[in-house]
Amino acid sequence: MKAGSNLEKVLSSGRFAATGELGPPKSADREVVRHKAGLLKGYVDAVNITDNQTAIVRMSSMTVGIMLLQLGLEPTMQMTCRDRNRLAIQSDLLGAAALGVKNLLCLTGDHQSFGNHPTARGVYDLDSMQLLTMVKAMRDERKFACGEEMDVEPHFFIGAAANPFADPFEYRPLRLAKKIAAGADFIQTQLIYNVPKFAEYMKRVRDLRLHEKCYILAGVGPIKSVGMARYMQKSVPGMDVPEEIVARLKGVPKEQRRQEGIKQCADIIRQIREIPGVAGVHIMAIEWEEAVAHLLELAGLLPRPQM
Amino acid sequence: MIKAEQKPIAEIMEMIAPYKKILILGCGTCVTVCFAGGEKEVGLLASSLRIASAATGQGKTFAEATVQRQCEWEFIDAVADQIKRVDAVLSLGCGIGVQALAERYPDEVILPGVNTTFLGMAVQPGVFEERCVACGDCILGQTAGICPIARCAKNLLNGPCGGSQNGKCEINPDLDCAWQLIYDRLARLGQLDRLATIMPPKDWSKDRDGGPRKIVREDLRL
Amino acid sequence: MSEKNDVSSLPTEALPPCTAACPAHTDVRGYVNAIARGDLEEAYQLAREANPLPYICGKVCAHACETECRRGDIDEPVAICALKRFATEQHDLRKGHAPGLSVAEPKEDKVAIVGAGPGGLTVAHDLARMGYKVTVFDANPKPGGTMQVGIPLYRLPRDTVELEVAPLRELGIEFVTNTRVSDVDALLADGYKAVFLAIGSHAGRKLRLANADLPDVWLNMEFLRRVALGEKVDLSGRHVLVLGGGNVAIDVARTAVRLGAAEVSMTCLESCTMMPAHAWEIEEALDEGVQMFHDRTFKEIVAENGKVKGVRCVKVDFRGFLPTGGIDMDEFPETEHVLPADLVIFAIGQGPDLSFLPQDGSIAQTRRRTIQVDPLTLATTKPGVFAGGDAITGVGFIIDAVGAGHRAARSIDAYLRGIDPATVQPPEPEKLGELQKKTVSHVRPLKRDEMPKLDADLRKTSFEEVYLGYTETQAIRAAHRCLTCGAGAQVDTDKCIGCLTCVRVCPYEVVALVRGTANVPIDQCQACGICASECPAKAITMKLYSDDDLLKEIKSAVRKAKRAVSVGTGNGKPIIIGFACRYCAYAGEDPSVVKARLPSNVKTIEVLCSGKVDSLYLLKAFEFGADGVFVAGCLEGDCHNEKGSVHAGQRVAYVKGLLDQIGLGSGRLEMFNMSPAQGADMTEAVATLTASIKELGPSPVRRR
Repeated sequence: MKAGSNLEKVLSSGRFAATGELGPPKSADREVVRHKAGLLKGYVDAVNITDNQTAIVRMSSMTVGIMLLQLGLEPTMQMTCRDRNRLAIQSDLLGAAALGVKNLLCLTGDHQSFGNHPTARGVYDLDSMQLLTMVKAMRDERKFACGEEMDVEPHFFIGAAANPFADPFEYRPLRLAKKIAAGADFIQTQLIYNVPKFAEYMKRVRDLRLHEKCYILAGVGPIKSVGMARYMQKSVPGMDVPEEIVARLKGVPKEQRRQEGIKQCADIIRQIREIPGVAGVHIMAIEWEEAVAHLLELAGLLPRPQM
Repeated sequence: MIKAEQKPIAEIMEMIAPYKKILILGCGTCVTVCFAGGEKEVGLLASSLRIASAATGQGKTFAEATVQRQCEWEFIDAVADQIKRVDAVLSLGCGIGVQALAERYPDEVILPGVNTTFLGMAVQPGVFEERCVACGDCILGQTAGICPIARCAKNLLNGPCGGSQNGKCEINPDLDCAWQLIYDRLARLGQLDRLATIMPPKDWSKDRDGGPRKIVREDLRL
Repeated sequence: MSEKNDVSSLPTEALPPCTAACPAHTDVRGYVNAIARGDLEEAYQLAREANPLPYICGKVCAHACETECRRGDIDEPVAICALKRFATEQHDLRKGHAPGLSVAEPKEDKVAIVGAGPGGLTVAHDLARMGYKVTVFDANPKPGGTMQVGIPLYRLPRDTVELEVAPLRELGIEFVTNTRVSDVDALLADGYKAVFLAIGSHAGRKLRLANADLPDVWLNMEFLRRVALGEKVDLSGRHVLVLGGGNVAIDVARTAVRLGAAEVSMTCLESCTMMPAHAWEIEEALDEGVQMFHDRTFKEIVAENGKVKGVRCVKVDFRGFLPTGGIDMDEFPETEHVLPADLVIFAIGQGPDLSFLPQDGSIAQTRRRTIQVDPLTLATTKPGVFAGGDAITGVGFIIDAVGAGHRAARSIDAYLRGIDPATVQPPEPEKLGELQKKTVSHVRPLKRDEMPKLDADLRKTSFEEVYLGYTETQAIRAAHRCLTCGAGAQVDTDKCIGCLTCVRVCPYEVVALVRGTANVPIDQCQACGICASECPAKAITMKLYSDDDLLKEIKSAVRKAKRAVSVGTGNGKPIIIGFACRYCAYAGEDPSVVKARLPSNVKTIEVLCSGKVDSLYLLKAFEFGADGVFVAGCLEGDCHNEKGSVHAGQRVAYVKGLLDQIGLGSGRLEMFNMSPAQGADMTEAVATLTASIKELGPSPVRRR
């Protein structure tokens, strides 16, 4: 066991994992966290907390992670390279580990120009690959990035993100291999709506035997409306939303679309489970945490195992 | 070369508001090449400011001069008389030139007329692109001659990130994804295996993060 | 315009081929460009500067300049001669024949000139301006030499000759006509400190053939002289055969046609293609019904009872005259035949009548029986005696004599001041090189207008001038064809930073970097002005105009417009300054007609291509007080310089942005693109602009 987290235990036992996501509030309001945590507790193996996602300032991932621990859920802390240099990152990780955070997702981070503080400096002292390497060295070698040794090292179950649909398409599996070599123990992918293309990707992943070295969780998420579907199709870089996804929602009356979206997502989960090498799903119900329980039920992923 | 862009005239007018006699000083090197501050631009700006001044009844006067380079003491020494005759100097040189003037003429008001933007080149006439950020530790040999520090929005050393789409950067569809370019070129050179190696974190102390930089060449000192 | 006091100063830089080919080194480029710009008085001044006989040369010059004209590499040479004629015809004679020409302080020495032909008149003119007392002797009743007694009236009306001679009288030159000088030594003894012999070639040559002395066998020069001096020679019903194939032979033949001859033929040694006469003269003769029999040598004049019956000829294969004097040809005796005629006129050549030279041989002759001179100084073997023109060459053109006249004047002046005449002769200047192919490929082909001529049928019965001259529209179009060779962009290598902008924008692929700075080969530059307006370092200047010139024009235009809008019908109208490309804004119509349609509050500054309009000029117009500014340039694809109007459009867009920033508003500046046929559209577009400017109100710069 790298860190002995619930997620790690579920995955290492061979069970199909299901993780969720919680978007922190754009304020100092603990109630929001408490409420959202309540919607997810017991339904997922671990909860990702986003880190100033899309460069919009929110309550920090680490602090919300600690709140979740206090509320009895298992957090997956997200750490981006955009806002902190290597000193701050290492410093936060020491504290997070000391307070019981065990899952860590290492990301580069969305560019600050997308967010609500576009005039801010982007730090990018490290990139996600270097972050993975650094965290692994902290855990396995007890070394700081500068090479100095520490007495008590943090133990993290290290995760990284992967986008099967970004360019260069043919390079993505090799990039995944690189992340695994760097230190990724598990992977969460970008939202998947084009299952056949994802299957293609997974074939190449399997050819490289990467699924044996690392747990790959496929990103899924229910779509609320036709507008949201279109937006993701046209305006989000790296997202592949086939037309039939949009058409399915269009095909039902407006008031039924949310439900249809959940059903559609459940279908996708079922399809993904058939693809060999996929160790679980990561559910991103953006600002729709209420849908998670119902989705998992429809997908046949409840109840979650008690490890 | 150093690229720059003239400041908006409204901003310039605000800067020169307290002064009556102004010398617009151009520079004959980098800013001439990018049409921001050479003799031609000095003439155009002087005419524009005269019009703006006359239109608002301000009665300012604008003298014009251009030196070969503002970043050379001898060249800026040569315009001492012209500088003494005015209340303020509006330099169209890059930040280096403006500062050189301020250092050489500590009792004069020296104002910047251009925004120094980046180190780059004209990829086509009229189209200038950033190419180098003077990081002090060139890695172009490892990235097939394409700089990820200058050309990747996140200065990744192990890119591309997940936002690379059709060879374009997610933050601006007009920007090439530097890592797509690096990938393609490495492929062309038969060096794709380089990508398997993780490039370690950069030594930013060689860049501006290490403090303002200085080079001393003892062999060149007089 | 600039006046050269020193008549011996010639340009030392490489000359355009036209000027280099001209024996007088006329500034062809200068006057043609002046016509292109619409400055007709300047054109006249420049044409007159090098040549005291511009009216005459404009009508009859042999124009070697056109043969050398580099436009010939693209389509056809520039109509240089026709343009000189146009410039002279436009000159306002009320201003005097040569306004502004200086005359030096009068000198004591007097000089005698024998012969009032082009050579003699030029020397007289030059020396008189230097202050010398000049007397010109001429055997004929009126001065002019060949121009008076040799060239037919249908080519050169005599009042044109008088027009050129009149100002020479005003310079104080004394003419002694009807006087054949027979004793040169006597002139020297008479107090003339120097003598110039310019007697020309008026002695026609005959072949020693049987019956060559019969009354019906005439000589070229005598014939032409009789007609020129007004004798009524009636050739009705005659069958005239002219022996010879040169220009004089053509003159003789065409004169004979006009004197009523029933039939006029010419016969010569040369083949059709080798005939020495000018191609255009041959064509005109043929149009007038002259028949030509080539490839023949003449054996005898056939006569019967003292009346000429014809000329017995034999066909030949003629290859040329040998330097020894012999003829390189093959005869075919079996082809012997008689060309019928009842009047034979010899026009096989002429030479100077040297019978007046001193018997002691102190003025030596050449073997060709012309006066021997030092080619550099034109000095004869007798000190103080100089010679030039046909008298030394045997046969030449008017302009050759003019060139010789200038040379002789320098020599005589030096001689009289005790200086070696060889030292005052400037070296022959270098000529520009050939146009490179890639530049040629970018030059827009423009058709050369034919010289309007009298109908051939009308011509045959009168001595009316055959050439009618170009109209103003034709002349401007003709001037636009000039490539302004050698008058292009000049790079100040101190300012040039090698930014490559000029290299990239040159439509003619002329500019390249040499040792790090831009180099514009003067041979190739087409003077479009685009590089100069684009250069960010202001390192490029144009030879024919400068920024300062343009700015002065703009200032003056604004001043004039200000006056116009302060009174009368212009009162209260906005001041509009326009930069109008002459290639389109006025083409197709008389420029003065188009300009007259523009109201008084609109003043235009004319440019040859809108690509020359620097962004600075647009701003300056506003700085000087204009309320509105426009640029009129050609449609994309029509531009004389490929992309000149595109550049102009981009500059207008850029300056519009500046105008918004400085509070004047982009609406005050517009670009009009038009095709040459749309002269009227410019006035409409200007009217629309004026209306919108009126609404914007006067420029805040103008103090009311």
